[in-house]
Amino acid sequence: MHSSFDLQYVLELMPILLKYLGVTMQMALWGFLFALMLALFLALVKVFKIPFIHHLASLFISFFRGTPLLVQLFLLYYGLPQFLPFLIGMDAFTAAVIGLTLHFSAYMAESMRAAILGIDKSQMEACLSLGMTRLQAMRRVILPQASRVATPSLMNYFIDMIKSTSLAFTLGVAEIMAKAQMEASSSFKFFESYMAVAVVYWVVVIIFTRIQNMLEKKLNEAY
Amino acid sequence: MKTFIKKAAVALLAASTFLSAASYAQQEVKVGMSGGYFPFTFSKKDVLQGYEVDVWNEIAKRSDYKVEFVTSSFSGLFGMLDAGHIDTIANQITITDARLAKYAFSTPYVIDGVQITVRKGRDDIESFEDLKGKKVLVNLGSNFEAVLRKYDANNEINIVTLDSNIEQDVALGRADAFVMDRVSATQLIKEAGLPLQLAGEPFEEIKNAMPFVNKPSQLEIRDQVNVALAAMREDGTLEAISKKWFGVDITK
Repeated sequence: MHSSFDLQYVLELMPILLKYLGVTMQMALWGFLFALMLALFLALVKVFKIPFIHHLASLFISFFRGTPLLVQLFLLYYGLPQFLPFLIGMDAFTAAVIGLTLHFSAYMAESMRAAILGIDKSQMEACLSLGMTRLQAMRRVILPQASRVATPSLMNYFIDMIKSTSLAFTLGVAEIMAKAQMEASSSFKFFESYMAVAVVYWVVVIIFTRIQNMLEKKLNEAY
Repeated sequence: MKTFIKKAAVALLAASTFLSAASYAQQEVKVGMSGGYFPFTFSKKDVLQGYEVDVWNEIAKRSDYKVEFVTSSFSGLFGMLDAGHIDTIANQITITDARLAKYAFSTPYVIDGVQITVRKGRDDIESFEDLKGKKVLVNLGSNFEAVLRKYDANNEINIVTLDSNIEQDVALGRADAFVMDRVSATQLIKEAGLPLQLAGEPFEEIKNAMPFVNKPSQLEIRDQVNVALAAMREDGTLEAISKKWFGVDITK
């Protein structure tokens, strides 16, 4: 190709991308927070095999793990409002956060369940023999240990979630991928634009990997 | 119970005053566009601009609308229109029979033709006939795939639909040609600095207009838009906007 890499253009594009990085991160952080709560609920429902509800939880996990995130986002934002008119008022950002939450909670529930099941059964039995309820045992003894086991895989999902926010432009959310694409369309500097946005995602993920390392160190103090 | 009814009545009254006050304010019209389609709608240094943006700002001025531009990737725009997230699309939308069956269109404001574009230096493709057995790219969600299939009755063309970057793929030699409207293709070659060239003459006339959902509230906006467009055509504003972005009048 005739053109060479235009570093000047990348430097000009960076401040624009950084300006919209907040939107990307807000989507990822809200999505992750809600997904953690929903996933914990789903995991506990399945571990305790709560009658009837645990079948619903399995169905939920099956659907949201079994269909692509993009399809779920389209269903949520374009499909459902045709049947549930009150959803028309939902903005694209909210739809993206809900979509990310539902999708990732399904995966995260399974890795939380695995972490909980990985804690030796005798611990629960010991707690029960001391007179704790199953919920108390879960909160005081099992979950603190399970959270240490689950941290690496949950962080994996968070990283995946950060990158998955790039799909939100199909709903009209002006995040960093949207801006990179729109700027590229007028400058025709595709390589520079996508390289710039790739670097932004990468640096963000590196930062969160650092945070993960610190978190793991802290959780491992007792061991 | 009585106080509850009283409270409810007061709340209702307050709500109705608020609503009627709101109706005096300018009506907001949400216009969807990809923001990634130079020079119709694109972003430069984070400023949304282009032919469509100028046309709509002018329409808004003349019909006393407050226009809000909503950018979304092209493949999402019609979904947003159907779901009521936007009122119309300004993205060089071509009127087709299938779309006419579903949407109410404004009067056309761009008249154009379907154009084949190839990598610079290729002389083996000069007409639609030459596309047989070749790999031809079209944009996802655009009507050019349907146009090609209509002509390609025996399925002899390898038509591939991509979400973006079709010009890049042809310039790189990954595909033999891409098909889009003549106006955009000309602009692309002029601005992109990619080794591309137009191949032959356009092979079908196309008219671009803005689609609206077929219901009274939306048709009202459509009619307002038509009045504004007619006035803009009359006093030369539309032509001026066209010349600003394309150097030629693409509105006739």
